[in-house]
Amino acid sequence: MLDSAFTAALARLVPSSALLTAAEDTRPYECDGLTLYREQPAAVVLPDTEAQVVEILRLCHAARIPVVARGAGTSLSGGALPARDGIVLSLAKFRRILGVDPVARTATVQPGVRNLAISEAVAAHGLFYAPDPSSQIACSIGGNVAENAGGVHCLKYGLTVHNVRRVRAVLITGDIVEFGSAALDAPGYDLLALITGSEGLLAVITEITVKLLPKPELAQVALAAFDDLEKAGAAVAAVIGAGIIPGGLEMMDREATRAVEQFVHADYPLDAAAVLLVEADGTSVEVAAEMTEITSVLKAGGATEIRVSENEAQRLLYWSGRKAAFPAVGRISPDYYCIDGTIPRAALPRILRQIETWSREFGLPCANVFHAGDGNLHPLILFDANKPGDKERTIEFGDRILQLCIDVGGTITGEHGVGIEKIAGMCAQFPPAALERFLGIKRAFDPQGLLNPGKGVPTLARCAEFGRMHVHQGQLAHPELPRF
Amino acid sequence: MSSTTKARARPEVADLAAITEQLRNAYGDRAITTHAVRVQHSHGEGLADAGMPDVVVFPQTNEEVAAIVRLCHAARIPVIAFGVGTSLEGHVAALYGGVCMDLSQMNRVLEVNDADLDCRVQAGVTREQLNGELKGTGLFFPIDPGANATLGGMASTRASGTNAVRYGTMRENVLGLTVVTADASIIRTGSRARKSSAGYDLTRLFVGSEGTLGIITEVQLRLYGLPEAISAAVCQFPELKGAVDTVIVAMQLGIPVARIELLDDVQMDACIRYSQLTEFAPKPTLFFEFHGTEAGVREQSEIVQSICADHGGDEFQWATRPEDRSRLWKARHNAYYAALALAPGKQAFATDACVPISRLTDCVLETQADIAATGLIAPIVGHVGDGNFHLVVLFDPAQPDERRKAEGIAARVSARAIGMGGTCTGEHGVGVHKLDALVAEHGDAVAVMQTIKRALDPRDILNPGKTVPRS
Repeated sequence: MLDSAFTAALARLVPSSALLTAAEDTRPYECDGLTLYREQPAAVVLPDTEAQVVEILRLCHAARIPVVARGAGTSLSGGALPARDGIVLSLAKFRRILGVDPVARTATVQPGVRNLAISEAVAAHGLFYAPDPSSQIACSIGGNVAENAGGVHCLKYGLTVHNVRRVRAVLITGDIVEFGSAALDAPGYDLLALITGSEGLLAVITEITVKLLPKPELAQVALAAFDDLEKAGAAVAAVIGAGIIPGGLEMMDREATRAVEQFVHADYPLDAAAVLLVEADGTSVEVAAEMTEITSVLKAGGATEIRVSENEAQRLLYWSGRKAAFPAVGRISPDYYCIDGTIPRAALPRILRQIETWSREFGLPCANVFHAGDGNLHPLILFDANKPGDKERTIEFGDRILQLCIDVGGTITGEHGVGIEKIAGMCAQFPPAALERFLGIKRAFDPQGLLNPGKGVPTLARCAEFGRMHVHQGQLAHPELPRF
Repeated sequence: MSSTTKARARPEVADLAAITEQLRNAYGDRAITTHAVRVQHSHGEGLADAGMPDVVVFPQTNEEVAAIVRLCHAARIPVIAFGVGTSLEGHVAALYGGVCMDLSQMNRVLEVNDADLDCRVQAGVTREQLNGELKGTGLFFPIDPGANATLGGMASTRASGTNAVRYGTMRENVLGLTVVTADASIIRTGSRARKSSAGYDLTRLFVGSEGTLGIITEVQLRLYGLPEAISAAVCQFPELKGAVDTVIVAMQLGIPVARIELLDDVQMDACIRYSQLTEFAPKPTLFFEFHGTEAGVREQSEIVQSICADHGGDEFQWATRPEDRSRLWKARHNAYYAALALAPGKQAFATDACVPISRLTDCVLETQADIAATGLIAPIVGHVGDGNFHLVVLFDPAQPDERRKAEGIAARVSARAIGMGGTCTGEHGVGVHKLDALVAEHGDAVAVMQTIKRALDPRDILNPGKTVPRS
């Protein structure tokens, strides 16, 4: 519960329609895309100017009230899960595209602008914004920056951090800071990279300048079928090993292909153990040369069937299956749990084999959909939350996959962020010396820990509680901390 | 020294004597106090604001680096990491004395993962050494700041170079680091995975932090397949404007040119004399390099050729043989020395402006007019594909008036770039010379940088007085 003086002060900062406190109004904000966790916020405030954001943060700072910034609420790691007794600061009303510079190839936008709306707005200049998370029709650019979002085209064009030039943000004290610059390089510490992917723990973003790319003249996608999952994994490594950086390099296993086919009818081969989608983009000469090379590598890798899109409609059809994979899986199973581990590419066949074994062991089907080119796995574990024990076994299965990702030199999250979901996994991935650096940075920005508390970076005490403290060479760090 | 740098006391003589003794005991003749070695480690290649370290030590392992930092941390003695000293902004000067940590003996390539296109090297490996060791793998590391710098130094200063337009800077090409922090912890940032959103981006925070947040001891780097075909071409223009406009159009069309370098008539004249490029005229010139498949390279170069023609450029002069290409790029890399040779006995300021490419023509032409008005010689050269260009402003140190005029040009080009939404430190870093400029450009962010510095180095022992003003 918020104290009434605080709520009254908040009400003075924004019009009454922009402050929600009734239970039925705040209910829609109780979770984001990760519905396993829910917390109803004490209040939701929807400012529409930066000056209001400044005042709201000043007020929360003075009253020590937690603040969770929220964009479109599509986070898959609980990044926008409200804090108990805190407020949700929605940036949904920051929807304006402030300017486009087609020569410098940049656009300056407010954080609530949808990812896809940027590409739509600049299409007339022959430009586009490259990072394309599957939720791009809904997710906001502010959330993309906060989570360092990826997407199928990141292999060639980079993550959000590579495609943002400048961010304007408000600190918990209400101070406005600009990170980065409109030019290519900004001096001093790379605060722009620090704020990108910081999951709303350091500042609230109010304005973003993104980099735009010229739309390639042509894009073609090859769809290749394999009768064996490991062969497909090896073919991915072979494509990259041949020095080709495709526009996209995605993989789906049989479970995922079947789910998708029933949903979008993308004309996928249903008998294949795995399907690869490999895209070439550029000028027509480049695409022709690259496609010849791609198809010959895939053939040599044992593809049983290769189809190359003959026109744009067909290319979009092939991609539609991949982009709709999550909702498609949602149709065949009451619940699914999406994992986001990332590994060095060469470890792919080994991981896939292990996931298959565990899937049998746990009796839980697993649909594999992933950004194979950058080694980012998205195993979707299918379960039924109403079946006793299913949820627990699912979480254990997921934990095992993530531990394996760490063991082969990878990471527990490629692009979905830590949020609330992987807070324990952070203790396994990072030793205390690294976590201390994270905490030092957090304290530098937000010493009271008011911005998005409980997410992103665990305290050392919390790691001890989880029993997940990273033990390096048998040295248990911080033996003084209580363990449960 | 910058006016925004508050003084830090030099360490006590007794503390220095004690640490020197400890270092000698631990590392024997790898801890050196001779005058010549200290002088050699007191400056980089830029205008020498030399600062002599009290002792120079050559660690060979992460653990040794950590042990040395632990001593410095306990005694609150400055510790400055040193690669091969090619910095232009005074990064390595020991402003308050202390320990210089020369990492040149940490020079092993630790692993090369062909299938994952990455490698891990110790900080003292140089760029040329790495590419030498990669021969035969079909891979290469593209970032090329001209100097044969160490990869640790390049990561620390977020180095860029002639082909950043295609391959990015160190920001895009460092996948992870091993860093010794101020409290002597050894941490690994990043992972071998291509992307990670776990925790804050410590890798990029340390990249470009110029040794002020931690000492980089190992670098995980992204590698690239050697392109099937490479060709280089030179195009000369009657006017500077045509050359700059060509670059803007090529970038706007998104042609993946591997390098585009602009040399104005003065710089071209200097290079013709210094590097015997007698087949060229002293006119505004663009150097291009194209990487890709045979067909791709042909296509890219045809498009660029037609853009050049539209802007008054002459016919392309090709350099397809490797030795012709390297002669051309060597001449470009020696541009700074060629400029100095225009007026023997004079000194130079190198400026480092970078603007959004839509403002490049305005910025370059206004700057050219400004130089002409002063009567000084200041050749223009730059990696214009990313909006970055340099002046080498020559002046006679014995003539106060010339020095004042030269400083005026440098100050105005910085102000002009900032006024156009750009920066005055495109790639050389902040070091000690650009602290005032950093405050001018990023006033509000400087306070945040200072808080981060205090959080990660509360005793201010890591390269004190650099990168962010002392708070």
